Amino acid sequence: MSLETQAMSQFELNTTIANLRDLRESDLRDYDGVYLGDIYCRIYEANFLEQLGDLKEGLRILQDQGKRAYVTTYAAPRNDFLPKVRKMLEASAAAGAQAVEIHNLGILKIAHDEFPQLPVHIGGFANLYTAAGAEVLRGLGAVRFTPNYELSLDEIQEITTACGAPMELLVHGKMPLGISDYCFLLEYEEKWGVKCPDLCQKELFLKQGDWAMKSVGKGILSGKDVCMLEHLPRLLAEGHRYFRIEAVSESPAYRSEVAAVYRAALDRAAGGDGAVDEGWWDALRRHARIGLCNGFYFGKSGMDYAGIRPDSIGSLLTISRVES
Amino acid sequence: MIELLAPAGNLPMVEAAVSGGANAIYVGPRGWSRRRDQYEMSDDEVHTAIDIAHGGGAKLRVAFNTNMQSHEIAPMLQKMERFVSRGVDGAIMTDIGAIAEVHQRFPHLTIHASIGANILNNEDVRFYRSIGVSQVVADTKLTLKELASRKEQIDVGIEILIHANKCYTYLGKCWMSPYHRLERTTDPFGKDLFKGSPNRGGLDYRVCLESWELYCGEEQWEKSVALKNDAFFLLEDIPHLIDLGVDCLKVQGREYPVPLVERMVKFYRDLIDAYVASPKGAEPQPFNLSPWQSRLNAIQAQRDTARSDGTRLLLNEARQPVPLS
Repeated sequence: MSLETQAMSQFELNTTIANLRDLRESDLRDYDGVYLGDIYCRIYEANFLEQLGDLKEGLRILQDQGKRAYVTTYAAPRNDFLPKVRKMLEASAAAGAQAVEIHNLGILKIAHDEFPQLPVHIGGFANLYTAAGAEVLRGLGAVRFTPNYELSLDEIQEITTACGAPMELLVHGKMPLGISDYCFLLEYEEKWGVKCPDLCQKELFLKQGDWAMKSVGKGILSGKDVCMLEHLPRLLAEGHRYFRIEAVSESPAYRSEVAAVYRAALDRAAGGDGAVDEGWWDALRRHARIGLCNGFYFGKSGMDYAGIRPDSIGSLLTISRVES
Repeated sequence: MIELLAPAGNLPMVEAAVSGGANAIYVGPRGWSRRRDQYEMSDDEVHTAIDIAHGGGAKLRVAFNTNMQSHEIAPMLQKMERFVSRGVDGAIMTDIGAIAEVHQRFPHLTIHASIGANILNNEDVRFYRSIGVSQVVADTKLTLKELASRKEQIDVGIEILIHANKCYTYLGKCWMSPYHRLERTTDPFGKDLFKGSPNRGGLDYRVCLESWELYCGEEQWEKSVALKNDAFFLLEDIPHLIDLGVDCLKVQGREYPVPLVERMVKFYRDLIDAYVASPKGAEPQPFNLSPWQSRLNAIQAQRDTARSDGTRLLLNEARQPVPLS
């Protein structure tokens, strides 16, 4: 068994990439799988979900690299999205996508009724909060679940204990906070001299005091990067095997350097060693302009950081200690 | 006949809604609905609300529309059983697992999918129908065309929010508020209130209404950016909605003063009745909304003041440190 295959049998590290350009520019050596597509906006530059030729090519590139090739779908589709969604699901199935990630229950119903051969991963916007909800989703073909981002690790464990549903957890990156049908950035095209689709690819933050959120137009993300680096031993001990680095709005350098840290840390943690190298913190800090947080995993405000290494993180963080 | 659904955050508001002409009233059991607990009711109060509503010829719906924890479904079912035995007319719900469990246990209870379910397309509606929902609240961003398509294609009741706010984000798909402040606290009965999470506990700090500065990297591009959060009243749409056959017009505002809610309910009662009674022959006269707009303006001003006062307090509260547990 090769080293890569060994690692893949223990856990999966994956990410999201929105278009063919980003896919080609990204070094994916430390990832096991990739979700293709931008879930927020139909006119995101060359979005895989609209460019079906690119989608087919993207899936082929991933397959050639031996990666698990997934496709994501829109988080908030209206009626007029659905014809394109059907074509996208059809193209994904034909091109050998290994699963489709679904955030919307209407799309889940379409996938279940019309494309039963496609395994379904439930996305974070599908609002999975309960074990009973996971059972409903399983009945419609779901095989993997990203719980709603508001859930704590204890609440996630409650679901897995009750029904054994395999969870996929965001371990690093900007956590989605909301989605709109309206892009306020378009109001500033003329003033800033930057047009769509370049607007939302700028590194834009909404700030007020020590509050910060990242804007990608129709999507609002956490300003801080969720970081679970020092909690990976707990995640593995609780049986989690699928880990996401949310980097759809990030640079190829972010995508590869953060993955290198988590690949090394997961390999070490899987071997029973939870030590975290100083160099890993440096890499993560370099890419986290606002700082690090834990999201809701410890039952606290999403922007808080609960960790054992307060000296290793940014100055804007709220620090508290937890038993990990 | 289209139904007028009114809010009630306390028992005097139930009475006011009934006297204002509501056909149905919704209340939230404490800790279980999308409002702060001070605008919810004890179980005994819910029982009394049922009696008041039924005594006035109105229906009473109970809102269990937070996204609860897995282990909270069992106590939710116990509460629901008590309300059902007392004669509650329907349940407003969000969590798909909780909906499925309630439908299985109480197959004759009408289940309304809450605004928090964020039902955006016709396939969404079919999904919710399949797990036992018979009426859905339309998202505030949907167009009349989308509603018409839903009404034509699917056997489902449609509720429309009036006198509400259209958030920047889709309702039910936003956790900006708890990202900034989440306080885990339990009520005397052990219910986690998730203060700060509108999806889980009902209290929303409305952080989206903050005056945001916008930065590109480290460079400030705008000193103040507003995320749209428009109030909408749909006055001109109401005749179209009635013609379209929507089943229910829903007024929100459990947190407003009782007299304001009574004025809002009375206004919409009178408007609906006047429109329904207006001539609908082969050449109907246009329904004149001008006098109604004048009357609504006064209510709107009162409502806007109540809301902006509330928003200021909430944003201030959002900045308070979370007590150490």
